[in-house]
Amino acid sequence: MLLKTVLTRLATTVVTLFGVAVVVFTLVRVAPGNPIAMMLPPGATEEDIANLTRLYGFDKSLPEQFVIWLGGVLQGDFGTSITLRQPVMELVLGRLPATLELSFMALVIAVALGGTIAVIGARKRGTGTEVGLDLTNGAVLSVPDFLWGLIFVLLFGVLWPVLSISGRVDPRLDIDFTTNFYVIEGLLRGRLDVVGSTLSHMLMPAMSLALPLAAMIAQLLKQSLKEVLHLDYTTLARVRGFSETAVILREALRNAALPTLTLIGVQFTFLIGGTVIVERIFAYEGLGNMAIDAVINRDLPLIQGIVILFAALFIVINLLVDLSYTLLNPRLRHG
Amino acid sequence: MSSLHAHTLDVIKLNIALPNGHRLLRNVSLTLEPGEVRALVGESGAGKSMIGKSVLGILPPNVAITEGEILLEGQHLNMMTPPTRRKIVAQSAALIPQDPLTALNPVRKIGPQIIDPLVRIQGWNAREAETRALDLLDRVHIRDPKRVMQSYPHELSGGMRQRVLIAAAFAPSPRLIVADEPTTALDVTVQKQILRLIRELQQETGTAVLFVTHDMGVVAKISQKVTVLFAGKVMEDAPTREVFTNPQHPYTRALIAATPSYADLERPFSPVPASLIADLHAQIAQDDLLYRGGRI
Repeated sequence: MLLKTVLTRLATTVVTLFGVAVVVFTLVRVAPGNPIAMMLPPGATEEDIANLTRLYGFDKSLPEQFVIWLGGVLQGDFGTSITLRQPVMELVLGRLPATLELSFMALVIAVALGGTIAVIGARKRGTGTEVGLDLTNGAVLSVPDFLWGLIFVLLFGVLWPVLSISGRVDPRLDIDFTTNFYVIEGLLRGRLDVVGSTLSHMLMPAMSLALPLAAMIAQLLKQSLKEVLHLDYTTLARVRGFSETAVILREALRNAALPTLTLIGVQFTFLIGGTVIVERIFAYEGLGNMAIDAVINRDLPLIQGIVILFAALFIVINLLVDLSYTLLNPRLRHG
Repeated sequence: MSSLHAHTLDVIKLNIALPNGHRLLRNVSLTLEPGEVRALVGESGAGKSMIGKSVLGILPPNVAITEGEILLEGQHLNMMTPPTRRKIVAQSAALIPQDPLTALNPVRKIGPQIIDPLVRIQGWNAREAETRALDLLDRVHIRDPKRVMQSYPHELSGGMRQRVLIAAAFAPSPRLIVADEPTTALDVTVQKQILRLIRELQQETGTAVLFVTHDMGVVAKISQKVTVLFAGKVMEDAPTREVFTNPQHPYTRALIAATPSYADLERPFSPVPASLIADLHAQIAQDDLLYRGGRI
């Protein structure tokens, strides 16, 4: 059953990615802006332009270019970045760990913070505390992630400079890791200095990304909890002597979690989208930051590579969310 | 304290009301001796479930006790702080709920749902609790208790789930069980089995039962005493035999007449007459006026 689900999803994934490839390939070529013009100094001759155009294959028709590019992709070759003159695959995979670690940390913060607020709100339902939490949630939700980024820079970078406001890690640290997963590899190697420095650099961008999602989780989960707390099995747990907090944590939480899980699945992909701007604000060396440079420089192969990778990431996340339903709800396990 | 007090439960002049002052229970008093089964009977909205909920401390959030006393084994429940009350209730009372389909947590296995309260609230060790759960599942005639402990609620039928809930209610050896219409949500054929089961376990263990029902047939089968309620007011409180042989209150007589008899299909039965209901409501309105004036 599980295997069948995964296989079906893999098949649709291939179709989806192909669609994404067609759209992004066409869009970046139809959109105004010429990559060749960006590469040559002012005053280049017509001949120089023609040569370079031929070199990058931009003289061929759009379908021809697409077939050539797709042929390379199928062999794992996403082309070469025009501005950085390195294989796209290498560049993108080099930056991916930074973005993954940042997004994951933001997700953990959002779930922990939103979950705690939801439980407190459900525990204090019908009181002024709940109203206060609702108002705070609304306020937090109405401020977008990049604005949170600027607020944090101002608060903890300028007014009370306790956190690093730019980069991913202290450049003075000597890092000879095999992967770019600084947090994970740092933990495995016992390099706590690297882990600490990375986390302190990640805290503010992660918080910026996490706060709006945390507010959404808090609101939805609290609502679901309140609905579950009317049901007979929670009443029965109270009769059996469990405190209200125990009833929420032991009986209600897992049942109330499903709608929130769907929300997290959808919103997490938006959160990854949000890394593009937030990484820029904090000069964090991730995919998003690279994506902005690629767009500014009209680096077509790099843009295509990044977009395809983001698309693949979204699909994997959605698959994981769907699979986690069955873990939470035993009724979905059979049939 | 309980040794000084012979009753398992005393409800004394209990009044509960909505925030707007509308009374749901009107000076309700009743007692329950150890090992006794008392039926609370009345139509929907008569407040019969509210009595059980007041005792167990699970009244809906907008309903409050405005006056009166509840003594569980001689201990004044409504003078306690909520945590103390919760502990006392959990130690001496249990609930068999109305709807077995919603009373089990759908995402947890049956075993932990019976065992957890024994371990975490009653302070048993895990082995004792598991043995107890298996023993009780066996006593409610569940064929393969080990397998059922490993099952999720959706894998069991309604009747099976109600058996599980009965087992869970009797597991901590409570002195009082509130059975809140425990057969209403079940098939007629299953109803009889469940009723017999509750009576069996009740007699074996000597637990007192407050049995909420709207079915006079059930009342006759299970209880020794009956409290008849109408609009939150006690109409009649008497031994079951007397209620059926010599009902004192016209409303009780009407209720009995309204119950179809399976043994005697020829006997006519009739709904409770509207004129009687109107009279009763008029009396209650007068009571309420007096109550507000502080004379009752």
